[in-house]
Amino acid sequence: MADNARGITRYYIPKKKGFFTRLAKQWQLALMSVPMFLYVFLFNYVPMWGWRNAFLDYTNKKQVAKGITPFYGWKNFQWLFSRPDFFQSIRNTLAMSVINLVFGTVSAILLAVLLNEVRQKAFKRTVQTVTYLPHFLSMVIVVAMAQNIFNSNGAVNQLLLSLGIVKESVFWLGEGKYFWWLVGVINVWKEVGWGTIIYISAMTSIDPALYEAASIDGAGRFQRILHVTLPGIKSTFVILLIMNIGHLMEAGFEIQYLLGNPLVMNWSRTIDIFVLEYGTQKLNFGVATAAGMFKSVVAIILLVGANFISKRLGEDTLV
Amino acid sequence: MRKLLSVLLMLCLLGSLLVPFAVAEGEEPITLTVFRGDPGDQPADDNKIYKKIEEEFGIKFEFEFLAGDLDETLGLKIQGQDFPDLFDGGNSADLIISGGALINLLDYVNPTDTPNLWAHIEPQKARIIEKDEETGEDVMYIIPNYGLAEGDQIVNAVNGPAFFIQKQVLAWGGYPQIKTLDEYFDLIEKFIEANPTNADGTPYIGFDILTEDWRRFCLINPVQHLMGRPNDGEVLVDINNDYHTETFINQPYAKRYYQKLNEEFHKGLISQDTFPMTYDQYIAQLSSGIVLGMFDQTWDFGNATTALQDAGMYENTYVALGLIYDESEVADVLPEGWKIEEHYVNGGVPNIRRGFGISVNCECPERIVKMWERMLDEDWQLLFNWGVEGEDYSIENGRLVMTEEQYANTLDTEWQKHNKARAFFESSPKRQGYIMEGELAGNCWEPGNQPEILFGMMNDYDKEFLAAYGYKKFGDFVNPPIELAPYGEAWQIDYTPVDQDHTDFINIQMEYLPKLIMCDPAEFDALWDEFVTTINPSATAFGEYMDEAVKAEVAKVLG
Repeated sequence: MADNARGITRYYIPKKKGFFTRLAKQWQLALMSVPMFLYVFLFNYVPMWGWRNAFLDYTNKKQVAKGITPFYGWKNFQWLFSRPDFFQSIRNTLAMSVINLVFGTVSAILLAVLLNEVRQKAFKRTVQTVTYLPHFLSMVIVVAMAQNIFNSNGAVNQLLLSLGIVKESVFWLGEGKYFWWLVGVINVWKEVGWGTIIYISAMTSIDPALYEAASIDGAGRFQRILHVTLPGIKSTFVILLIMNIGHLMEAGFEIQYLLGNPLVMNWSRTIDIFVLEYGTQKLNFGVATAAGMFKSVVAIILLVGANFISKRLGEDTLV
Repeated sequence: MRKLLSVLLMLCLLGSLLVPFAVAEGEEPITLTVFRGDPGDQPADDNKIYKKIEEEFGIKFEFEFLAGDLDETLGLKIQGQDFPDLFDGGNSADLIISGGALINLLDYVNPTDTPNLWAHIEPQKARIIEKDEETGEDVMYIIPNYGLAEGDQIVNAVNGPAFFIQKQVLAWGGYPQIKTLDEYFDLIEKFIEANPTNADGTPYIGFDILTEDWRRFCLINPVQHLMGRPNDGEVLVDINNDYHTETFINQPYAKRYYQKLNEEFHKGLISQDTFPMTYDQYIAQLSSGIVLGMFDQTWDFGNATTALQDAGMYENTYVALGLIYDESEVADVLPEGWKIEEHYVNGGVPNIRRGFGISVNCECPERIVKMWERMLDEDWQLLFNWGVEGEDYSIENGRLVMTEEQYANTLDTEWQKHNKARAFFESSPKRQGYIMEGELAGNCWEPGNQPEILFGMMNDYDKEFLAAYGYKKFGDFVNPPIELAPYGEAWQIDYTPVDQDHTDFINIQMEYLPKLIMCDPAEFDALWDEFVTTINPSATAFGEYMDEAVKAEVAKVLG
């Protein structure tokens, strides 16, 4: 770091040696990585053995309960892909994920930039604390609050009515077309503070000299944000984006499960809820695993795709 | 010093090993793990009933109550073979039975070893004892927790499904006889017109429809009752036509009900907010006294009734009405030869496959069965139901009586934790109805049914209300029970083989029915046709399965 401050960078170029020679030399580091390696192996690789369930017949509940699950080939997948509501749940999952990703990222960056510009420490701290407290609330409570706020006589409708924006109260909770956006808004409220933490820390590592230089060159506050702050967090943003794209197939489960109701179920059913309804609750682990596998495969494709595009555009990459 | 400590520690350990032997009389004390398939309260450590159980049987319990989704919880237990000793699978007991979690109780229950238990199940044994599909042997996994009553059937009030209406609405209307759907909604409409809000200025809600999760029966079950049948779940059984069974929701006679709801929706009696409502919100709404009517089952909103009574809002509590279709209105769409007669209350229904089973992991099944056997004796039944004599109730001239304070205690959940063995007793075999023998013959097993308590402690509002109708009890608002059909009640039939069709069947209803209720009346017919076309495949699959199952059950019971 001291070197960096003077603008000099020294590269340590290792001589090419064998893998084991290097390993022996870095044995302390290797030792330290063992727990993580074990963790990943035990919790991420070993469970993959369970993927074989996707090819077993779990349709006869009575047999399943006795532990009889014959080989079933691709029939679980065939069943899945014969269901229009499975595709519907994929659509819902992707739509809500994208909305969450865009809303979540934009709002977090916006708030982080605003907070970064605040000079008064006490105010900044207060805002930070207040905005990230909802992250710790249980989704059950958040949804209960949302149901009160958004119902026909709720705060939102009363506000809109009294301002004359709408003539009669909007049926937020019962119209499918609002559901995705409602989820997006609730997620932003809950997670925006939490999301800013990583961007704020990225901003603190921006060299203050850059701001000074920009000021001297006559940059105003907005120009400093545009040309110093935002480029400064670009690599963080890209890495987070790639990682989030890998999670696109996970739009969450709790919020849709709790906030959903019969009127909006065609918009609220995510893949996870589909798996719960037709898989886990019916002990049909075959279908549940098949859907899970499908999800993972799509997620890997998305992740590698995003990584590839990012590399092509000359940005940072995850791998 | 250290040596002394270790010797002391040794002695302590030895002592703790020896203590049980000192207490044990005959059999060594044991702690049984118990799972209840519904949420509940842990009893207090000083609970007097559990103490007595421990004294007599040397048995202690460790309760686990349901938290979260029932099927998922049971599924996990089956996968892990992690069974408690006493296993109550709640409404999904079929799962744990097919999961091989329970032992066949007939290995221990028979006329010679367990005369009490045998006498208890005998009248209904054709329904309770089943044939194993594969081996063909007789099996009984669970002794029903409720519904094996002795003596004449007690119908003090409707405990099951009904259309409910606030007492004040009937009182305002001059205590009319309400028998049909149209009369019911008419009265509510007129009441709301005259009294749009309650005393606080909160607008009344005409009719609530609860749709949350399994409580969707409030939305999808009423049609069978309007057709004059007791609760068969999601199918209509024609007992006069060889028990022909079909799903009713996709039939022309169901259309009338949802069309009526559609009309009432546009008159403002039903709010759109009723569909996204959760159960908690529903109970809160009922408890505030602003909901004038709904279709539900009495036990489903017990908390609201208690809250209203506690607040002294007796006029806002509900009466169960047995509504039927006006036959002239549906005459052209009725099944052939069908007569609509009101039958909301069914003959005593044993709660088949509901209650405790003993799991295969239990080490002392015989001891548990023996305990149940002994517990069916009068003294234990009185202890569970009435409490300790002199403390919780007394006997005067051969009648079991409670003071008002004693009765109020039994309804207090905090008191129950110390003085009632609910968690165990609710799922155990129990005697209900009337005491038939001995000095106490003619009393009721359950305090809530005892006339001295039921009528003696009724509040003045209810007394005057019943007097205005010339009725003795709230059960008089519906017809007396009919004889239980040989298949029992069709909702008890295990439909796991057509599970997936059933899920589709339910999901389509939940998607369309609210839409039908809220749609533009001009579009109703077209939407109804679309609904019927969409639901027909799954409804047929489910209906045909149920048709076979009902007929098979009838054949089995009639022999």
